[in-house]
Amino acid sequence: MKTSESSLSFAVAKKNRVPLAEIDVRGTAAARKLGRVHAASAGRPTQASTFNSAL
Amino acid sequence: MAEHAKTHALPSVSVILHGGEPLLAGPARLRRVCEELTSAFEGIAELDLRIHTNGLQLSPRYLDLFDEFDVKVGISLDGDRAANDRHRRYADGRSSHSLVLKAVELLQQERYRHLNLGLLCTVDIENDPRAVLDALTELDPPLIDFLLPHATWDEPPPRPDGSPTAYADWLLAVFDRWQEQGRPVPVRLFSSVLSTLSGGPSLTESLGLAPTDLVVVETDGQLEQVDSLKSAYEGAAATGFDVFTHTFDEVAAHPGVRARQLGLAGVSETCRRCPVVRSCGGGLYTHRYRSTGPSGVFDNPSVYCADLEALVRGIEARSAAALVAPAVAEPVELLAAQQDLTRTLLARLNADVGRRGGEQWAAVWELAATIDASEEGARGLDEVLAHPYTRSWLLYAMELAQERPGAMQVARRMPVYLAAAAVRGGLDLPVRVTFSGGRIFLPGLGELRIADAGERGTALVRATEDGFLVRQEESDAAELRVVRPEAAGPGWRPLRRLATPGSAPGLVLDDLDPYRTCFSVPATDALDDRAAADLEARTKEAWTLIEAKAPGRTGEMAGRLTTLTPLTRLAPAEPAVGRHGYGALGISPHGSAEELAFALLRGFRRAELRALCDVTDLYAADGSWEHRMPWQEEPVPFSRLLADTYERMALGAFEPSYLEGVPQALDTLDGAAELTISGKRLLDQMRKEI
Repeated sequence: MKTSESSLSFAVAKKNRVPLAEIDVRGTAAARKLGRVHAASAGRPTQASTFNSAL
Repeated sequence: MAEHAKTHALPSVSVILHGGEPLLAGPARLRRVCEELTSAFEGIAELDLRIHTNGLQLSPRYLDLFDEFDVKVGISLDGDRAANDRHRRYADGRSSHSLVLKAVELLQQERYRHLNLGLLCTVDIENDPRAVLDALTELDPPLIDFLLPHATWDEPPPRPDGSPTAYADWLLAVFDRWQEQGRPVPVRLFSSVLSTLSGGPSLTESLGLAPTDLVVVETDGQLEQVDSLKSAYEGAAATGFDVFTHTFDEVAAHPGVRARQLGLAGVSETCRRCPVVRSCGGGLYTHRYRSTGPSGVFDNPSVYCADLEALVRGIEARSAAALVAPAVAEPVELLAAQQDLTRTLLARLNADVGRRGGEQWAAVWELAATIDASEEGARGLDEVLAHPYTRSWLLYAMELAQERPGAMQVARRMPVYLAAAAVRGGLDLPVRVTFSGGRIFLPGLGELRIADAGERGTALVRATEDGFLVRQEESDAAELRVVRPEAAGPGWRPLRRLATPGSAPGLVLDDLDPYRTCFSVPATDALDDRAAADLEARTKEAWTLIEAKAPGRTGEMAGRLTTLTPLTRLAPAEPAVGRHGYGALGISPHGSAEELAFALLRGFRRAELRALCDVTDLYAADGSWEHRMPWQEEPVPFSRLLADTYERMALGAFEPSYLEGVPQALDTLDGAAELTISGKRLLDQMRKEI
């Protein structure tokens, strides 16, 4: 059935598609992505040591 | 330290054994240190234990100990042999280079590799930058960092050729070589600049505005500020506190420590006005020291100021094309990013509900994966997830799942989205949905009355070639068939489509979705046929008006603005954007075609900017600075200036006075420190519009 609301939507449908079960939802990139629309998902910021004189 | 971690519920604490040369303590003493620290933090916080060494003494004896206590090891190495020997010779002049290489090789062995933190290189511009990087990357470390040599305004760094940017030039030569090599190893200094340019945090104390959360515990128990301060002047790092009589909270309140935690307020006035301050952060605190002058001794730009600015701008110029978010450059990429975001939200919802959702949720999630796995199902699911109010439900569901473990309401609602996906994809897959009020609402499609108002229960929805079937469970009611879901039928109320002139796909009038209540003002009840027809006529007229006054704008709107929802308490020319996905707009159901045209155009711009901000960082540290808008006295944060300017540029087609002040506003935006690389690209596009 024809239900499309956007002529562009199918152009993006297969682009970089990761199966639902394999989407990273806990990593740093995911936290940043989700945090833009859902603050609680950004989590407590954890930062590696920033000490200049050592790694 | 453990007391402090416990008091503040810190998830982890990094303890770095640092010198001088910490290996000189010997294995027995280091063992006692490791044992004491490990037991103190047991059950309180994760202990991230590290050691930084010149490597000369590093042997399996030490590394076995470090393996036992998971002590990560960083090594100082200034590059190739010539570079290393410039500052790291024994007292008798012998080279230490081969011993350091041996230490690195030992650390690279399979049994110790997990302890390897990488290499720390102090810059000397007399060295060949390419040879230095080559020598470091050849050793295949997991991380490299470059340190500017300690210097202050009293004792400036050597600049043999007199260039004010000699250190930036040297580091940019390393950067270019690093790019040529294909960035084989992360370089903390470069990663930090690339991060801040994109709106992320800084990654090292020497750059950016992130608070410095470290304190030095001397071997005699004195608590000091960061060690590098000692190179400013004798006693600069002292706090007067010690571990025997003071807490870490007391040292954290020390003015010297506080000064490095103030972010923008902690840098000099010159730095606060500088567009690269988010990336350089005024440089390492030590490098700001000047014993004389009108300001405080640390209230100055860095002695490396010109270098830091050239470094940030140099990295930006070299990386801008790669760092720009594709969503800013291409509308189709914005759609892709929005779709990716909604799918990630759905996957995160699954993770949050997880096992607590029981068998019911597990079955629902399995059904989602099944639908997503077939081509037709994936297409249907994409369409459902692209519906703006699916995002509204997802955000609500995530809050519910995080607030109330189990959250069975989430599991009960999810199947209607899957049913809508199956119907859209034409999948012959029965989906069990719950209903209440005698109705089932299929998101993006419409509402089916299947029982008397007030009744609730479950029903099976099954797609057919031309529509779908619904059978109420545990009921004698006949199966209902909806043929051509786009048209109204017995009990079936589809979402209406508002046609627009030309070949544009038109707009969905969504006055039914229960999650359309995501705006700051309430949604109206569903429109009756007459009101809907009136709105459609005005939409056509408004579209034509926009086409006449702003040629090309309707082309942008077609397919990107997908859904209109009538709201109460909204002035006719005022649009609303709420907490939903890309494409929706709240409008007043009343008013003239002219007012609607104005609302559509303004709302489209507002929705576009919101959609971009949902998937990329156009600016960072919003609110840290105040800006003047040419059309308003009161200063505003960057986000407001950007939003107003973005809307005004489009509205100028209707009323030229909206364009007054826009060029000045663009200049203000251009010079703002908040702007990221993606934000700059957007600004470039805005400039081309006027």
